[in-house]
Amino acid sequence: MILSQSLIMQPNLAPQEAAPAEQSNQSGHIFFKADQGLIYLHLPPNKAMSTDWHQLWEQLLHRLAASQKLWPPNTVAYLVANDRLLDHRQLEQLDAALSEANLQLKRVFTSRRQTAIAAVTAGYSVDQQSPTLPLASTPVATLPSAPIPIPTMVEPLYLQTTLRSGGEVRHPGSVIIIGDVNPGSTIVADGSILVWGRLRGIAHAGASGDRNGQIMALQMEPTQLRIADQVARAPAKAPTQFYPEVAYIGFDGIRITRASEFAKQKVRLEWMFDNVYKHHSVATRLPIE
Amino acid sequence: MGRIIVVTSGKGGVGKTTCTANLGMALARNGRSVALMDADFGLRNLDLLLGLENRVVFTALEVLAGQCRLEQALVRDKRQTDLVLLPAAQNRNKDSVTPEQMKQLAYALTKKYDYVIIDCPAGIEMGFQNAIAAADEAIIVTTPEISAVRDADRVIGLLEAHRVKNVKLIINRIRPAMVQANDMMSVADVQEILSVPLLGIIPDDEKVIVATNRGEPLVLSEEASLSKMAFNNIVQRMEGKEIEFLDLNAAYDTLFARIRRFFK
Repeated sequence: MILSQSLIMQPNLAPQEAAPAEQSNQSGHIFFKADQGLIYLHLPPNKAMSTDWHQLWEQLLHRLAASQKLWPPNTVAYLVANDRLLDHRQLEQLDAALSEANLQLKRVFTSRRQTAIAAVTAGYSVDQQSPTLPLASTPVATLPSAPIPIPTMVEPLYLQTTLRSGGEVRHPGSVIIIGDVNPGSTIVADGSILVWGRLRGIAHAGASGDRNGQIMALQMEPTQLRIADQVARAPAKAPTQFYPEVAYIGFDGIRITRASEFAKQKVRLEWMFDNVYKHHSVATRLPIE
Repeated sequence: MGRIIVVTSGKGGVGKTTCTANLGMALARNGRSVALMDADFGLRNLDLLLGLENRVVFTALEVLAGQCRLEQALVRDKRQTDLVLLPAAQNRNKDSVTPEQMKQLAYALTKKYDYVIIDCPAGIEMGFQNAIAAADEAIIVTTPEISAVRDADRVIGLLEAHRVKNVKLIINRIRPAMVQANDMMSVADVQEILSVPLLGIIPDDEKVIVATNRGEPLVLSEEASLSKMAFNNIVQRMEGKEIEFLDLNAAYDTLFARIRRFFK
């Protein structure tokens, strides 16, 4: 066990040291990141939207349930708590949930002194500094001499679950869901969204402005589709037959095309879409609020 | 060790308490010992439906406070002596108990009873958290309305997150005539959204209202009715038997209806 006692006894870290780690996770959502056989669990910083521990906890349980099969038993997990205040009881809860999902919590990264103390008391290795994280947007930033990082996509989030009403998935990359996305749920991805099932909730691809984001689903019945700054809702009358479909930004807003046609279309010029191909369904374009 | 089952729905008024009362009673008639736990602190109804209101002396809260023993708080049913009720306190709210305390009570009950059925309050707040804390199985009650189904979907998600994996569905208040006329969601429509195994279908029945108001669960009545049959079938399925689902459409599946459907 590595116990960096000297670090813990230091006063709280200067804000500029704590800042880079926060940038990694502005969405207010937890996420998992695998690197060299380790799983990093990133908690959103305190400033993020969902700061409530209860909400965070629910999110974690959902995420664990959906990605349990992705790692072998007794995988070592590191917790990246950022500036989040965790007490002994919460760490215990986390540990219990993680171990149920085959993860062994071994190490805690934090920039909060109280969290560090709680973690040490609970018997974890503690790093009270911004760790060099395997996340694309962070590691460079933590090194003082490194150039400003170019924002790159993180690896896709793979979930095997039915996303139910009230469920929300946010990810700074692409999202792949094996299962249905029910009405009342939301997916927000900076990349593309692939639903291997029915898409009936709200899907937002390219959420940080990438107009190349696509939304793919085996059965496209969304409440609303959003790509970058465009919003569309499905046609008022549901189609009687469903095909795998792809939604993308065409030259006049969000369009939906059959997946089998989409591959062919990709090689043609954009203006030809309207003239040559009859689209299966065209979503209504709405001004974004 | 008995099974701990929570009956929940998310939305209010879909028939959680009625289902709890009838299932408990039917299980007891089937020779099982059953403890019903009312988790609806502050708005308790289960005692009314069972007709045990005037026999409630102590509640779960007094047990937790150590003011009485668990056995003292349990109200035994006169008609079915295998059935007991652990009433909730009426003068408090949901925050007066913790999930840990609910677990204590439920675990204590499983030692003596084959089934511990917890009647969950509506909503997903503290009362819900309390009710599902101890459960390893859940029965979702929903009606064929979009609002009820949406809430049920949310609740199933929450249950999955809390590791209640064994979730089954009861669709309550089906009106076959309306389903036939395409004015109501069908069982298949509901199942398509919720995708959890179906435990039973209960037709909309005025007799249930009558029974409820009398404080005498429907399954106790001598008169045969579809809804009584539905409850008994559910109990058989809970016991692990394979029972066909009631064909509620039979009476409405006339030649005329078939022809009309054919041309739709």
